[in-house]
Amino acid sequence: METMQPSDSALISLYIAGQEDAFAQLLERHKARVFTTIMLIVRDEDVAEDLLQDTFIKAVHTMKSGRYNEEGKFSSWICRIAHNLAIDCFRREKRSPLLNLDTTSHAFNSLSLAEEGAEAALTREETHARLRELIQELPAAQKEVLIMRHYGDMSFQEIADATGVSINTALGRMRYALINLRKKMAAQPVFYDQNLYPRDAAPVRVQRIAS
Amino acid sequence: MIKTFTHETLLRYVYNELPAKEHQQVEHALLHDAELAASCADLLLAQRALNDLRRAPSQRTTDSILQYSRTFLRKE
Repeated sequence: METMQPSDSALISLYIAGQEDAFAQLLERHKARVFTTIMLIVRDEDVAEDLLQDTFIKAVHTMKSGRYNEEGKFSSWICRIAHNLAIDCFRREKRSPLLNLDTTSHAFNSLSLAEEGAEAALTREETHARLRELIQELPAAQKEVLIMRHYGDMSFQEIADATGVSINTALGRMRYALINLRKKMAAQPVFYDQNLYPRDAAPVRVQRIAS
Repeated sequence: MIKTFTHETLLRYVYNELPAKEHQQVEHALLHDAELAASCADLLLAQRALNDLRRAPSQRTTDSILQYSRTFLRKE
């Protein structure tokens, strides 16, 4: 039986009341999304790990000092912090770049070759590396919306508010980001090779609805 | 009559941002509009590909954050 998970709001209340376990759950729930958001901006694993710490340290300070504003979603709030820190860092690095500019090798690679065939793992990792490159090639405004919406879990309205544009502009940018990605992916059929996905993977929702 | 939907509406649908009534309308339209269903499938495939990029930070970083939080509590 599926157990009910406490909401983010409930966990925050428990954490503020002194339950450290609640923070551990919040961190577990959101760390991958936040880390991916940062990685796609700074493209350096060590820097991303540092910025993830900075992000959650800011969150700890805000929550424990009673300054956390319950109005919005925690997921959007934490990703806004991460996004801002990552953008600041990226701009600083652009002025004085680090030597490590490799965007394709180990940074995202957490695959264990023992878990699947070595060849399949390599193909998958190459595909992911190429997709990350394609994201980097998007116009900045499109890339920003894509990261905020897909990994930051911010709604289109929240993105519009955060970036100072209308919701239609945010939606349009996301639309063109996906169109651009799709075009580039279609030009490289490996992205739609069904062999890349497990045979028992859940079908996309449209197929389920139509059945 | 099947209502037509914009790509922006479809985007909000796949990201679960539509009000319930509009969400249902899109689902109904998907059953009868092959072109809309194909566009939706494209979006869902793109979503799946993007989901695959999600990666977790190292355990060391996670532990450092938790340690910081516990230490911060003791300072208070």
